[in-house]
Amino acid sequence: MTMSTEAAISITALRKSFGATTALDGLDLQVAAGEVHGFLGPNGSGKTTTIRVLLGLLLPDGGEVRMLGGDPWRDAVALHRRLTYVPGDVTPWPGITGGEVIDLLARLRGGLNRRRRDELLEQFDLDPRKKTRTYSKGNRQKVALIAALASDAELLLLDEPTAGLDPLMESVFQRCVLQVKRQGRTVLLSSHILAEVEALCDRVSIIRLGRTVESGTLAELRHLTRTSIAVETAEPPHGIDALPGVYDLVVEDHHARFDVDTAQLDAVVRRLAPLGVRSMTSTPPTLEELFLRHYGDRQAAGPTVTS
Amino acid sequence: MTGTLPLLRFLLRRERIALPWWLLGATLLVLVQSGQSQSLYGSPEALAKLRQTIGGNTAAIAMNGPTRLLDSIGGEVVFEVFAFVAVVVALMNMFLVGRHTRADEESGRGELIRSARVGRHAPLAAALALAGLADLTVGVLVFAVTTGTGLPVAGSALFGAAIAGIGLAFAALTAVAAQVFENTRAAYGVVALVLGAAYVLRAAGDVGDGSLSWASPIGWGQRTFPYVGDRWWPLLLMLGVSVLLGAAAVVLLGGRDFGAGLVRPRPGRAAASTWLRSTCALAWRLQRGALAGWAAGIGLLGVAYGSIGDSIEQYVRDNPQIAEFFPGGAADIVDAYLSLTVGLSALLTAAYGVTSALRVRAEETSGRAEAVLATATSRLTWLAGQLSVALAGSAVALVAFGLGEGLAYGMTVSDAGQVPRLIGVALAYLPAVWSIIAVTVLFLGWVPRAAAALAWAVVAYCTVVALFADSFDLPGWARWASPFAHVPRVPLDDLAVPPLLVIGLSAAALVVAGYAGLRRRDIGP
Repeated sequence: MTMSTEAAISITALRKSFGATTALDGLDLQVAAGEVHGFLGPNGSGKTTTIRVLLGLLLPDGGEVRMLGGDPWRDAVALHRRLTYVPGDVTPWPGITGGEVIDLLARLRGGLNRRRRDELLEQFDLDPRKKTRTYSKGNRQKVALIAALASDAELLLLDEPTAGLDPLMESVFQRCVLQVKRQGRTVLLSSHILAEVEALCDRVSIIRLGRTVESGTLAELRHLTRTSIAVETAEPPHGIDALPGVYDLVVEDHHARFDVDTAQLDAVVRRLAPLGVRSMTSTPPTLEELFLRHYGDRQAAGPTVTS
Repeated sequence: MTGTLPLLRFLLRRERIALPWWLLGATLLVLVQSGQSQSLYGSPEALAKLRQTIGGNTAAIAMNGPTRLLDSIGGEVVFEVFAFVAVVVALMNMFLVGRHTRADEESGRGELIRSARVGRHAPLAAALALAGLADLTVGVLVFAVTTGTGLPVAGSALFGAAIAGIGLAFAALTAVAAQVFENTRAAYGVVALVLGAAYVLRAAGDVGDGSLSWASPIGWGQRTFPYVGDRWWPLLLMLGVSVLLGAAAVVLLGGRDFGAGLVRPRPGRAAASTWLRSTCALAWRLQRGALAGWAAGIGLLGVAYGSIGDSIEQYVRDNPQIAEFFPGGAADIVDAYLSLTVGLSALLTAAYGVTSALRVRAEETSGRAEAVLATATSRLTWLAGQLSVALAGSAVALVAFGLGEGLAYGMTVSDAGQVPRLIGVALAYLPAVWSIIAVTVLFLGWVPRAAAALAWAVVAYCTVVALFADSFDLPGWARWASPFAHVPRVPLDDLAVPPLLVIGLSAAALVVAGYAGLRRRDIGP
């Protein structure tokens, strides 16, 4: 793994269990300074537990965790001045207003950019004078988002931050994150919204059952999956089934349909060329397929970390 | 109205835990009072003496009710207990109706229910029917325990009916408030205000010429004069008010949107005020209402106790068997009485301290602690902010008690010096109260999930030791384990500083030990 700057977050072999439940089982995560890192995994895979460890709320059972050059458990207070956090399910104190919550959280962290706060209130269309008990789920989420985005913190830990936001607000959020990225700040974004991940993230890590199963740029991850090929050849397409990395082959006369590991694509094309290709369509894997492959129960693959 | 009946069954199920406790509490109040009054004033002579003592005591009349009730022993029971049972039953009705109308609407549960084959008015009708059933049960239970303890049947029926009628009136009032306000707390606030006003108007009327009592549902109930005059027609007033208010609630509900009220909630601050910049300030902001409520309640209890302090000497002379309840016996009876009441208030204050300290856990399980601890706030700062309210708040509550008791007692004996004296006496219990808070912190640090149960067990234990150590004949070590047993019984005994210091230092050690646990454990549900 090569990294131009020091890693903002570096986790190796992190383990954490609650009683008999193992939440994290040797998790690895590397987030470079200045990147937006997507953190993906099915519900209950350990994303929130990881973020709570990074916040110094949970004491790890084992493994190495470094964040912004410090130890999240020991140096919690010092590190928290440099980061900001949006929880996935926000339940602010019901008796005080959204504006008060935003200001209070910012003051507790060490100040906020007032002009930025007011811009964000306008962009997210939030009435700060309402008591938080009267907010809808989306509006409660906005309170936490504005409190985080109005800060100048160098690291943003976002745990499914857009749950409950409408598409318009989702695009406001994406604009804000891109702006944060341009400023060279680091974002760890846990999310289920694939369009959001595709639009924002430089690299992603996919975790499952408390372990990292995939990590890399989106292009690299695509490379790990299969491409669907449909081909018509002059000669009957024999011998394809003997090639490595070919699956679900169906041959009818001069037609063949099959999936191929993207890494083996070149070898397959070389084998087809002498047969006289009349037509060929190739469908690259969608992000959904990529994620479903890791989220689903069928393929419990071991860790295949690349980059 | 479609769906009212299934909803009512559902509400009965939701209330199966809480409602029986309310009913039990109200019934026990009457049962205990009926037994006690009949054993103390069963004879006509004893009752006549009581009439003489109480008849001249304005404070006792203001607390309880009109003196005409003292004409019979059944009336005496009503005099002692009616206003309190009425308040309990009114509150029960307020929560029953509020919880299943506006609170459900606020939480979104009501939406789920209304999306089913359920009419617009069904939730309100079911809530009122539930309250009606509860009131009917209270009435029957009051009738049962009063006739069961040997009081006349007609008076007992009237007593039960009057209590049920007051309950119904407050259920209907809550139904209206739930239509007017968008948030449940505001509705509760208004109903509680009306209840407080009902009590005060009744007190003023009973002390004066009685006309103000007619402005209060509690006054109507007492003026049925059960066991004395057996006057039934004031029940019609309660019934009429209930029907009118119920109809008003139905009309208001018909004209409003789901989730909306008639009064828009006042917008709050757009930005936090400058002082809201620490977890300590936040804790005070969040808990100031609760503290004000507890301090006011404990202070009023002080007024109630203080107001009969002067009569206590006369009272004990009339009823020598009561002297057994006091630590010093018949000698120094007033000081013994004051010492006993301050001790009770200290137990109540400890209960307040535990509720406040347990907010630490509530913040944690709700995820709000996470939001705060993700900022540059250390666990120590966070804990200290929360605890500052419990520690200082319990001092405030004790001062409120001393102030209330000192004012009321000082006025009856014309001695302003009683105010500082009794405040000082109450504060002697501060280290013991703090030690209970400190034990709670220890639990929060090391066994957070069990903290609430354990802390309340400690409070219950101290209460049992304080009230029943003699009657249960508890061994010495069992008493020794309660910090309250080590507080000098001021003003009966002299104030000794060393035990207070020891209690205070143990409390400090417990807090430190609790923090040590909190420091190294996971934060979260």
